[in-house]
Amino acid sequence: MKAGRCLQRLAISLLSLTLTLGAAGVQAQTQSQEDAIVLSVLAYRPQSAMQQQYRPLTEYLSDRTGLRFRLVVQDQESMSRAIAANQVDFFLTNPSHFLLIRSERSLTGVLATLLRDWHGQTTGSIGGVIITRADRADINRLEDLKNATIAAPGTHFLGGYQAPALELESAGVKVRRSSKVIYLGNHDRVIRAVVSGDTDVGFIRTGVLEDRLVDNPDLAEILKVINPQDLRGYPFQVSTRLYPEWPLVALPHVDSRVVRRVASALYALEPGDPAARAAGLAGFAPPADYQSVEDLARALRVAPYDQSPRVTWLDVLNQYRGWVLTVGILLALLVFTTVWLGRQRRQLAQEERRQRELIAGWPQPMLMLDGSELVDCNRAAVDLLRYTSEASFLGKGLAAFSQSIQPDGEIASQKLDALLRRVQLGDMVTTEWVYLRSDNSEVWVDMTLAPVYVHGFDTPAVLCSWYDITRRKEAEERMRLAVRVFENAREAIFITDSHGVVIDVNDAYQQITGRDRQECIGSLPPMPIDEGSAILIAARKHGVWTGEFRSRSREGRRLILNLTLSSVFDEHKDLTHFVGVFSDITRLKESEKKLRTMAHYDALTGLPNRVLFAERLHQSMAQARRHGYQLGVIYIDLDEFKPVNDAFGHDAGDELLIEMGRRMRTVLREEDTLARLGGDEFAAIAVNVDGDEALEALLDRLLAVVVEPVWVADHSVAVSVSVGYTLYPQLEELDADQLLRQADQAMYQAKREGRNRYCGFSENLS
Amino acid sequence: MHRRHFLQLSLAVAASASLTGCFKKPPLRTGVHPWIGYETLYLANEFDWLPANVQLVKGQSSRDSLNGMLAGELDAAALTLDEALRLQAGGMPVRAVAVADVSVGADVVMARPEINNLSDLAGRSIAVELSSVSGVMLFAMLEEAGLRSDQVSVIDLPANQHLEAWNQGKIDASVCYQPVASRLAQAGAVALFDSSEIPDTIFDLLVVTRKAEEQQPEAVAALVKAHFRGLQHLVRNRHDAVYRIATRHDVPPESVRQAMATVMLPEVSANRRYLAPGGRVETIARRLGKILAREGLIQRMPDLENLPSRDYLPEDFS
Repeated sequence: MKAGRCLQRLAISLLSLTLTLGAAGVQAQTQSQEDAIVLSVLAYRPQSAMQQQYRPLTEYLSDRTGLRFRLVVQDQESMSRAIAANQVDFFLTNPSHFLLIRSERSLTGVLATLLRDWHGQTTGSIGGVIITRADRADINRLEDLKNATIAAPGTHFLGGYQAPALELESAGVKVRRSSKVIYLGNHDRVIRAVVSGDTDVGFIRTGVLEDRLVDNPDLAEILKVINPQDLRGYPFQVSTRLYPEWPLVALPHVDSRVVRRVASALYALEPGDPAARAAGLAGFAPPADYQSVEDLARALRVAPYDQSPRVTWLDVLNQYRGWVLTVGILLALLVFTTVWLGRQRRQLAQEERRQRELIAGWPQPMLMLDGSELVDCNRAAVDLLRYTSEASFLGKGLAAFSQSIQPDGEIASQKLDALLRRVQLGDMVTTEWVYLRSDNSEVWVDMTLAPVYVHGFDTPAVLCSWYDITRRKEAEERMRLAVRVFENAREAIFITDSHGVVIDVNDAYQQITGRDRQECIGSLPPMPIDEGSAILIAARKHGVWTGEFRSRSREGRRLILNLTLSSVFDEHKDLTHFVGVFSDITRLKESEKKLRTMAHYDALTGLPNRVLFAERLHQSMAQARRHGYQLGVIYIDLDEFKPVNDAFGHDAGDELLIEMGRRMRTVLREEDTLARLGGDEFAAIAVNVDGDEALEALLDRLLAVVVEPVWVADHSVAVSVSVGYTLYPQLEELDADQLLRQADQAMYQAKREGRNRYCGFSENLS
Repeated sequence: MHRRHFLQLSLAVAASASLTGCFKKPPLRTGVHPWIGYETLYLANEFDWLPANVQLVKGQSSRDSLNGMLAGELDAAALTLDEALRLQAGGMPVRAVAVADVSVGADVVMARPEINNLSDLAGRSIAVELSSVSGVMLFAMLEEAGLRSDQVSVIDLPANQHLEAWNQGKIDASVCYQPVASRLAQAGAVALFDSSEIPDTIFDLLVVTRKAEEQQPEAVAALVKAHFRGLQHLVRNRHDAVYRIATRHDVPPESVRQAMATVMLPEVSANRRYLAPGGRVETIARRLGKILAREGLIQRMPDLENLPSRDYLPEDFS
């Protein structure tokens, strides 16, 4: 390419030269710069020394090829940049750097491999030298480099980094991962760093140390080489295995004719040539195999092989078939186990959850005890004792919620301890228990305590379940009460079937009726004979029948019974039974009658008393007004009663009063009333009186029967009466008391007039 | 799967793993002697690429290896094909598991300068170690020269004594190899004939006893693999290997480069071809067997069936 392009450029440049004289100087300079074939050499040593060493070689090439060569000494970075910009035509660098460049752009390949000369010995091999101060007694072997600080020119130096790094890796010292490598750019700085003690060791390429020894022989005393290799015929000290020397590479853009000419010039370079001698070369050999350097970079994973090699699964499978299979099987087993265990655990957890939910939601209260302490309980237990949350339960003992003295008289905590001991020995116990709700009301439960064995625990947990029997207990109580009532009631109680046939009776029933139970059961209960079935019908219809009736006892005694008969229906509203309650009210009735008599009649004479007289007077007055007839009210007083009483005693007095009453009664009509008002005073009502004359005729008869002698206390006694009377109705409206008072006044008039006479009431009397 | 069954299964796996892991066998004792083709094993040894179950027993010459094999002190050895045949014929069944190199000039016939061609050898005394590959070399050369073995004076002498015999004027020619050849050359001998004239005939092999093969096949494979790893270094890192070999043999590196030019170092794929049933190794073995039997170097034609084996060649070696 170069020749053609150069001519073209020349032409263009000449043209531009003629056109722009002003820029001519600059242009010409640029042109000469561009014209030269650029040989770039890596500055592995200081710039000035490198320039001196390689200028003769450039001149030799210019001479042999007839082309103009320009030497550029560059560090790795600038060389890479220059190559990328096509500013370089040939370059000479270390193999590691070459690989990096080659990976970045395609190259025609290595033109030649440098041969180094050292005092007549020639070598095409390069290696690394690991140096440290000779006085470092602690560093003698590769293994001693662990944790040592290292100076190196850079990572893309073969002898100055990669070769020593690989040796150290083989010895188990990982240089790459260590942060203790300091990169100094070239080998001379590395030597300085080691000599000055800035770093423990340094990596340099072969040949550099020998070169430095020429100027500074003292270095041989100051420095020592680690892991020296005894390689016969190799001119330099070396610490590592060897690799091919530097390649001289042509870039692709260089014309092939130029390349050929350069190659032939290179191969023609003799060891004794001044150009070769200046650069320390023995010449150039045909390109070496740089595979080993590639392998090295791969092993170290440095650029361009810092990516892991692409290994296909098939490769791995082929190489590690046995292992892959084993690991695969184990992995499969592991996965299987994991999945299986996972599923088991899930199932277990699910079962546990289901069980928990079941227990939590179970309507029967359940609790779990550890020792005597509550550790779990369900909603039903909380609800039963009317607490709000289970937190009220946890951590406490059952005794805390129990009625401290249980119904059987035992102390709750003591009884509970005994029960729990039994359960922990493996028994299952059931007992009735009374708990106290949060509102202090009682709850009866049937409590079951059962041991639950949990894996890994010696003593079993205790499962406690409650069955609420409060209602049953209450029903039992009611029943017991009912039985007591039934048995001990003073009233007779009987129960019949739906047809009224007795099926049970109580003791009172047997007493009242005088029949024993055997006789009663199967027969009909005492009921009013004429309306027996009607009562049942009424009770069935209205639910209850109440009434009094007469009956007879077994001995024939008359009875008055008060019966309440209730019908009993089942849940289907069908009548199943009748319940009857009756009491013997015979005596009650008798005393009632007696009392009534005592209230209205005079006990001595059997005549109506003042109360009944007043009642009758009211009635008679009303009748008189209604029927328009007259009635007479008569007041009677015995005249000589007191002397009789005094002379013959009270009994004689009483006899006299009885006889007088009887005689006066005979005079009066049936419809008239005679009453004893008290002492020796009597009063009478004569109804339907037709004027004073008719009444006075009656009173004449009265006076006549009274005066007849009376045999009392073996003596014949004659007494008289004084009588006053009045008539009703009169002109003014009067009440009963006024009437009786008028008669009383009239009687006093009769007394005043000489006794044993009657006297009618008139206005002037008052 | 039932739990118990599962446990038993995993126990079985663990047991099989631990059995192979724990059971300690003696290492594969491998006889080796200095020869460019066997430098691979020395390099492998030097770079620690030999596994613990392979032990190198370093001898002076192939004779040491051969005797060690016959005495039962070695399980494997670096031997030439004819040596393998001798073992096989001598009642020690062996197997060729790798071709380390094929001589293309490594075996030479050094002669007095006045002997210019092979026919001049008639009536001359020729030193040769008959029990070694040199015997094969001699007979191949005589065949080439059209001479019978009774037309020359064959002096059976170990190679390391040839120089002395030469200096004493007892021999006119020597069938030998490096480094003896170089030393003879320094003493004035010239090369008359070399193995490059009978290509693909002189094989240097890695040979194992059938017994070792049966008992520790994995060690055999490891040995073969180490050889190829050393070979890789020898070929790819020639710049390094040359200096190391030179150091071991105490010769200039240039001599090593020259010596390496006299052998072909077949890689794995080439080995595969050589060791194939009916391949080159088997063919040559048959021919050699006939010669050896004819010359009375072996009592009977050995059994050549399955002498070479490709089973231990690494599958993936780049």
